[in-house]
Amino acid sequence: MIAANPVLSGTGIGLRQPHYREVFERLPELAFLEVHSENFFLEGGAAMHALERARAAYPISLHGVGLSLGSADALAGEHLAKLKRLVERVEPALVSEHLCWGSVGGVHFNDLLPLPRNDETLALLCDRVDRVQSTLKRRILVENLSAYIACRDSGMSEAAFLAALARRTGCGLLLDVNNLYVNAINFGFDPVAALAELDADSIGQMHLAGHAVVDDCLIDTHGSLVCDPVWSLYEEACRRFGARPTLIEWDTDLPALDVLLQQAAQASDIAQREAAHA
Amino acid sequence: MPELFDFQSDFGAALRDRRRTPAMQRWLAGDADLVDRRMAIYRANMVAAADKALSSAYPVIRQVVGAEFFHGLAREYQRGTPSTSGDLTDFGASFDAFVAAFEHTQSLPYLPDVARLEWAVHRAAGAADAPDWDAAALGAVQPEQQAAIRFAWSPGLAVVESPHPVARIWTIHQPGFDGEFGVDWDRADTALVARDGFAVVVTECDAADATFIRASLAGAPLGDAAATTLATHPDFDLGALLVRAMAARLVCGFTL
Repeated sequence: MIAANPVLSGTGIGLRQPHYREVFERLPELAFLEVHSENFFLEGGAAMHALERARAAYPISLHGVGLSLGSADALAGEHLAKLKRLVERVEPALVSEHLCWGSVGGVHFNDLLPLPRNDETLALLCDRVDRVQSTLKRRILVENLSAYIACRDSGMSEAAFLAALARRTGCGLLLDVNNLYVNAINFGFDPVAALAELDADSIGQMHLAGHAVVDDCLIDTHGSLVCDPVWSLYEEACRRFGARPTLIEWDTDLPALDVLLQQAAQASDIAQREAAHA
Repeated sequence: MPELFDFQSDFGAALRDRRRTPAMQRWLAGDADLVDRRMAIYRANMVAAADKALSSAYPVIRQVVGAEFFHGLAREYQRGTPSTSGDLTDFGASFDAFVAAFEHTQSLPYLPDVARLEWAVHRAAGAADAPDWDAAALGAVQPEQQAAIRFAWSPGLAVVESPHPVARIWTIHQPGFDGEFGVDWDRADTALVARDGFAVVVTECDAADATFIRASLAGAPLGDAAATTLATHPDFDLGALLVRAMAARLVCGFTL
């Protein structure tokens, strides 16, 4: 049996292939390791072996990037079945997906694409999250998205949309602080006001990452250090919600492991300091 | 969900073809120029995802043609054969046919077979781990029953036959290869792809052995597979092949 939501606190990093050996040799002090679920939809081999080694030493956070919860296409049953098998195999501490869509008419873009935030979309998302949670027999976390375009037909803010989704399905939220900041700049809103729309009880995890600045737009690359405004927003979120399991997310131009560990230590310091004032 | 489907159809069409961007303007906030610039970000993400997935499955082809050309190959392949799964491990199964037909790879006639070999390696890398098995059980089979033995080959095992030296090409492009880089381009290779623990190994395989393994993989019992092989390779040595296969743990069980 899988525990519904094991208690987890502290900071983790993504486990990426170039770091496998060093992580297993050093076993750095971390609260958890995160992997992308889809990279482990395999029967066996080196990747699965690495995940099993990681699981033996750390709680695991499974982060999905391909389920496409918000597609008008039918939910991919085979994909969900693979996720279920992985969840049973790994018994992760956390399972998360994104508030996005990625496929239409059977064609997959393998990206996290933005949704119009209206009642129609909310009803669809509630239905999908219910189905995923009943299939996996556990609560999942749904993450706010970074985006570069906004739909005209979006009556709700993303925070209000996610808060409603959490209330109606009982799912938790994964607050990606960098995504919130990226969107605040790209679309010109106050990210602190967005935090005020979320219920503290719903926040099950936070993400921190770096982004790129291109012309008039921030691009969520997960390829650089967390920037100062994002650290500040994280402080605000910790004050408001208390400390939550927090991931340093780094996927492109992977640096030395020590860089990730330093960022994780910085996040831990902030969470402890700010949560004490919460 | 008709409205959401229409939005996503228009968005998808604009991702796949920039000329379709104006048609999705009605769904989006911001002027046409802004939407055009922002859609370019999503379009680049889409191609980057294809490049990353294909680079992972086809690292040798990427080295042979170079990263920049490979990026273009990924874009063109995706254009004709878009992903149909949220799991990119499945993406690229028909890359061999694509490079066989692609105008700008005609000067590299061995590329399609290298692609077939790399796809077999990619599948083997994620195949189930071979179960522990005591080969001594094979010795207990009565002589009159031996022809009926159906081998269970280790998961991921594959034979790739080519008129080009594909096993050699694959070998010299492996990370850490420090041997002689020469290639005899007139040689035809039959490559055997197999797991060795968690690693995938590619070895050159004798044509007779390959014929037997292929027949056996297709489900033929030992007697039939051996007869098929001997018909074209009269010098086929079944005993020697089985000794090698057991030693390399290519066989992980059998049924009668």
